[in-house]
Amino acid sequence: MNPNMMYAQYREFCEIACKRHVIFYYVGYFSQSIISAMADAVRMGVEHIGAASQTRRRLFSSFVEMAQNIVHYSADALTPEDRNDREMRHGSVCIGIHGEKYFLICANPIKTEMAEQLRETLEPLRTMTIDEIKAAYKKMLQSDAPEGSKGAGLGLLTMARDASEPLEFDFAPSREAGITMFYLKATI
Amino acid sequence: MENLHISATPSSPEVDFRFAENVLSLRGESYPENAAAFYSGIISSLNEYLNSEVRPQAIALNVELTYFNSSSTKMLFTLFGTLNDKVANGVEVTVNWYCHEDDDTMREFGQDLQEDFPSMKFYEHAIADD
Repeated sequence: MNPNMMYAQYREFCEIACKRHVIFYYVGYFSQSIISAMADAVRMGVEHIGAASQTRRRLFSSFVEMAQNIVHYSADALTPEDRNDREMRHGSVCIGIHGEKYFLICANPIKTEMAEQLRETLEPLRTMTIDEIKAAYKKMLQSDAPEGSKGAGLGLLTMARDASEPLEFDFAPSREAGITMFYLKATI
Repeated sequence: MENLHISATPSSPEVDFRFAENVLSLRGESYPENAAAFYSGIISSLNEYLNSEVRPQAIALNVELTYFNSSSTKMLFTLFGTLNDKVANGVEVTVNWYCHEDDDTMREFGQDLQEDFPSMKFYEHAIADD
């Protein structure tokens, strides 16, 4: 490729990211060590732009929950399905600014049959008040982890608690049979 | 019983359980990949200590965690429950809960712990903002 052409394309990509106020974007495989390195970058980035300390903590918390969900649940795994440590799975995460608020969006492939279950978990969270979210969180904390959870069933509730608007989500068909793309957005 | 010391990593806290002195401390950040695996070993050492022949009379638990993820929260709750069960057997448990003054989430979690485990003595301490 003509180098001038290459730089032009790259500049175009950077300009779009800048126009959309993207402050962090990663697509690729997620592992625990990649997450902790990214966590450093995210922490530095949000500190640099001067976000209030409580906002920084909420952004950081939502980032870690999203990234760890990808490591635990993305359908595109480099490591065997039944392994529960040192996993590597594919997805993407983006942090940006929209008006006065920050947003985080993550995306990863899931098995199509998981979509309904996710919808059933996420949809009720959207209409709950912050007090109802906190009560649900407390109830979940005191009960056993739900089946199929690799954590405590608290991840989505934690994001809902940290967000200032209802969590948004979407599903899109994938070229691969039996696979659906899952998108999740949290506004802080 | 031997003390338990685990050094901190970028995503797991320092665990400094000095059983001989009855002082148990957690410091740092907690978001290991598998919190259940990380904490279950710690909780089983704690159980071994609590049920040992030389039973402790008074235990201090210092929690100086600046961040923990959702699955660590669950395991910390279990750890508190394990200690709280011993209060009924006459063991005095004091919790020193350190958090940033403006960290509402952490303060509220501390307050929730106090409500859930009222027999433990609970003291909140401020860490200076960095």
